Amino acid sequence: MENLLFYVMAAGAVAGALGVVLARNPIASVLALLACFFCLATIYLVAGFQLLAAAQILVYAGAILVLFLFVIMLLNLGQAGPLPKVDREMFRRRRSTLSIAVAAALLLAAAIAVSGFREVTALAALPVHGLDTPAMLAATLFRRYALPFEAISLLLLATAVAVVVLAKRSRAPQAGSRDGDEA
Amino acid sequence: MHDHAWLWLLPAAPLLGSAICGVLHFRTLAARRKDAGAEGSGRLAATIAVLAMAAALGLSLLGLRTLSGMPAEERVLQSPAWSWIRTGEFPIDLALVLDPLSSVMTLVITGVGLLIHIYATGYMKGDRGYAKFFAYMNLFVFAMLLLVLSSSLPGLFIGWEGVGLCSYLLIGFWYEKGWPAEAGQKAFVMNRVGDACFLLGTFLLAKTLGTLDIGAIVAAVPGAASVPALSSRLALAGLLLFAGACGKSAQIPLFTWLPDAMAGPTPVSALIHAATMVTAGVYLLARLNPLYAASPGLMLFVASVGAVTALVAGSSALLQRDIKKVLAYSTVSQLGYMFLALGSGAFAAAIFHLVTHAFFKALLFLGAGSVIHGLHDEQDMHRMGGLARRMPHTFATFLAGAAALSGLPLTSGFFSKDEILSAACANGGAYWVLWVVGLLTAALTAFYTWRMVALTFFGRERFDPERVHPHESPSVMTAPLWILSVLAVLGGALGLPAVSRLPHLIGRWLAPVIEPGLRLIAARQGGAEHLSAGIEWSLLGLGALIALVFAHKGFRACDDGPAFDEAVARAQPLLARFLDDAWGFDRFYQRWIVQPLVLAGFAIAVVVDQFAIDGLVDGAGTLARRLGARARSMATGQIAAYGLWMGAAAALIAIFFLLRGT
Amino acid sequence: MTVPNGHLLLLAAALFAVGVAGFLLRRNVIVVLMSIELMLNAANLSFLAGSRMHALSSPGGIPDPQGPVFAIFVIVVAAVEAAVGLALVIAMYRHKRSVSLDELGELKG
Repeated sequence: MENLLFYVMAAGAVAGALGVVLARNPIASVLALLACFFCLATIYLVAGFQLLAAAQILVYAGAILVLFLFVIMLLNLGQAGPLPKVDREMFRRRRSTLSIAVAAALLLAAAIAVSGFREVTALAALPVHGLDTPAMLAATLFRRYALPFEAISLLLLATAVAVVVLAKRSRAPQAGSRDGDEA
Repeated sequence: MHDHAWLWLLPAAPLLGSAICGVLHFRTLAARRKDAGAEGSGRLAATIAVLAMAAALGLSLLGLRTLSGMPAEERVLQSPAWSWIRTGEFPIDLALVLDPLSSVMTLVITGVGLLIHIYATGYMKGDRGYAKFFAYMNLFVFAMLLLVLSSSLPGLFIGWEGVGLCSYLLIGFWYEKGWPAEAGQKAFVMNRVGDACFLLGTFLLAKTLGTLDIGAIVAAVPGAASVPALSSRLALAGLLLFAGACGKSAQIPLFTWLPDAMAGPTPVSALIHAATMVTAGVYLLARLNPLYAASPGLMLFVASVGAVTALVAGSSALLQRDIKKVLAYSTVSQLGYMFLALGSGAFAAAIFHLVTHAFFKALLFLGAGSVIHGLHDEQDMHRMGGLARRMPHTFATFLAGAAALSGLPLTSGFFSKDEILSAACANGGAYWVLWVVGLLTAALTAFYTWRMVALTFFGRERFDPERVHPHESPSVMTAPLWILSVLAVLGGALGLPAVSRLPHLIGRWLAPVIEPGLRLIAARQGGAEHLSAGIEWSLLGLGALIALVFAHKGFRACDDGPAFDEAVARAQPLLARFLDDAWGFDRFYQRWIVQPLVLAGFAIAVVVDQFAIDGLVDGAGTLARRLGARARSMATGQIAAYGLWMGAAAALIAIFFLLRGT
Repeated sequence: MTVPNGHLLLLAAALFAVGVAGFLLRRNVIVVLMSIELMLNAANLSFLAGSRMHALSSPGGIPDPQGPVFAIFVIVVAAVEAAVGLALVIAMYRHKRSVSLDELGELKG
């Protein structure tokens, strides 16, 4: 039963991914990505990674995609109107063939590499609290990976500062008002 | 016996003098740039240089006295050695050795050198490079002293090269005129050819005998020469060293630089190209006499080259118009006599002639310089004449020198030349031919010498009395002339012939040094060759006769001007040109060696250097630039393009790992 | 769930490939950023697949905790990168009034 769910969700994820790439309207891309994330979260859940599934929804779908949506709305990019659903224009360019070839090559390589993993070992019963219990994650995260954890927090701080600086509207100095405190 | 460190003072004195004069020269240049007067430093330079020479002479005399106070077999003073090259099995040390032969050389170098330096203080007066001149001269004496005092062949070679360098510097002293610079270069390059042979000979000796210390070589040669495998190698080494001597001492085929070297100031010609540098080759062979005595073929070769050179040069002097060129060819000719002596086994006679030649040839050059100076740089004898009245001192001393050169009886040149010819005659066989050649050359020598005297000092005054006012030279120039003339006339006392039963001073003095060679010759021939007393006296008489007859002929032919020369030129124009060109040697070299080399050089400069090498180097640069331009076109600034490259590379890596099966 | 791990990895590869294609093909900067998110998710899935494999092959069914931990790191980094990227998009829009990648060619050599 869960296997079936997996395959369905897998198909959904791929469809969502394709939607991101092919859609003309950026808002449609965002929504496709959302669908993809949901499918992925389900897959994580079915595989026994409960915390990760929650994190996926909370952070990815709930924060990052919202951010994308904000920016699209801010810049007024999502024009509705007589636009084709699929962006056909991108295929007409010179490098499109090459790009698709590259992607296909990667896929093929991975497929061949993976073709060896055929064993179906039974993990019949998943533990109740999942494969990634908070205790287990915490034990690793705060002990062995304490330093990267702190570094990540620093990274977040830096990002916050950087985003503010980057997105700030730079005001041209106005002639006549030379207040030294103005940045 | 190794603690005579004071020997180092001998070359050090002129070296110091040279350094001081050099400094003074630079001060003069600086003062001249600021337009300040700098005449004082010129006089100071001259004084320092002369003092340095005097000091060197004093030390030479001290050495002579020390040596003469020692028993004959032990007459060697050695200075402490300075280790120069320390390789495992072949250390090369520099040390100075004073023995009878080197003491004779140092006396000649410093004695005649001192007189020439004094003369030069007057001759070079007013020259812009006065201090520089004395710096070079002292430097030369330093190098020459190193040459004759060195205890090893590498040390000798240092001096050898040093005198070559100073010769180049002094020949080209007036380089602004153009041709002296070329003459200096010609001298240097020809010397280089000889030097290359010298070095090869040295290497061969080192390989064969395992040492380059001269004393050790001299001691080892007699033993090694008896080994058949080694004797041919030793003979080859001797031949190569002789080739080096030919370059330095201007023998065929490397003699054409000497007449051109007359472009330098006359004191230079006197010191370097008459008395000292050109005698370095003679010294070398005398020093290594066992090496040559061991090979009779080599000895005959040396003697033949000397004799032929003497003839060729002597004949070339017959029709020269430039007074210095006559003396130049004469020098080459007399050097040929010295090598004839060496090749005949008469080592002492060669050195004796070296000494007398230094006296009278320096005298003649200085006298010619006096004439040139008095006539305001006129060197063409056709424009001289009648100077006997105007320049009495120069005239008298010049006569003495001419007498000695032509070998008039009882002069120093008479005795030394006769000894050489007797030695050649005594050897018999092929040497008789050489003896005849020597006699012929003696006749030529007398002829051209007195032709020179006649044209210069007798007859009508052919110079322009408006422009030229000949006057006697100042006493600072004539005093050395008088001293040298006394030596030229009386110097024969150093080597009176054996038949006269009077002592041969030089022969006795040099005996310890030349004895190894003489012994080898005697062993081969079974006893020394001796001419009977009767033949010896006849030879003396024959020499005197030839000298007197041909001197008279030469004098009479030219005592009323250039009529003789013009007659010969009209009657035998080809012969006249042939002799004037010194038998065409120079023209031959010019056409067959110099010009092809210049063409080859030009070809290499254009083809190889410009096309190939520059093309390669520039091409590398151009290639880099073009590749860069090509690569630059990849930087479109389009992120997607970069992404494509990255993606393609990632895909390739993935496939690579896949195939590798990691 | 008894899906072989290979299938999980294949799914990850497919998502990654689509992400690469989107990254290379699209002109809209924001969609490019979204393609990058897609690729990061594919990586996440691979990490978890690896952890699961550890669980499958170990006797007690114990997963390798580093899988989920790295996945968490990846999520954080993805968030950060999306934030900075979008800030840059805003700045770029202010200058050029466009979010097309074609306009961004000023670093060309």
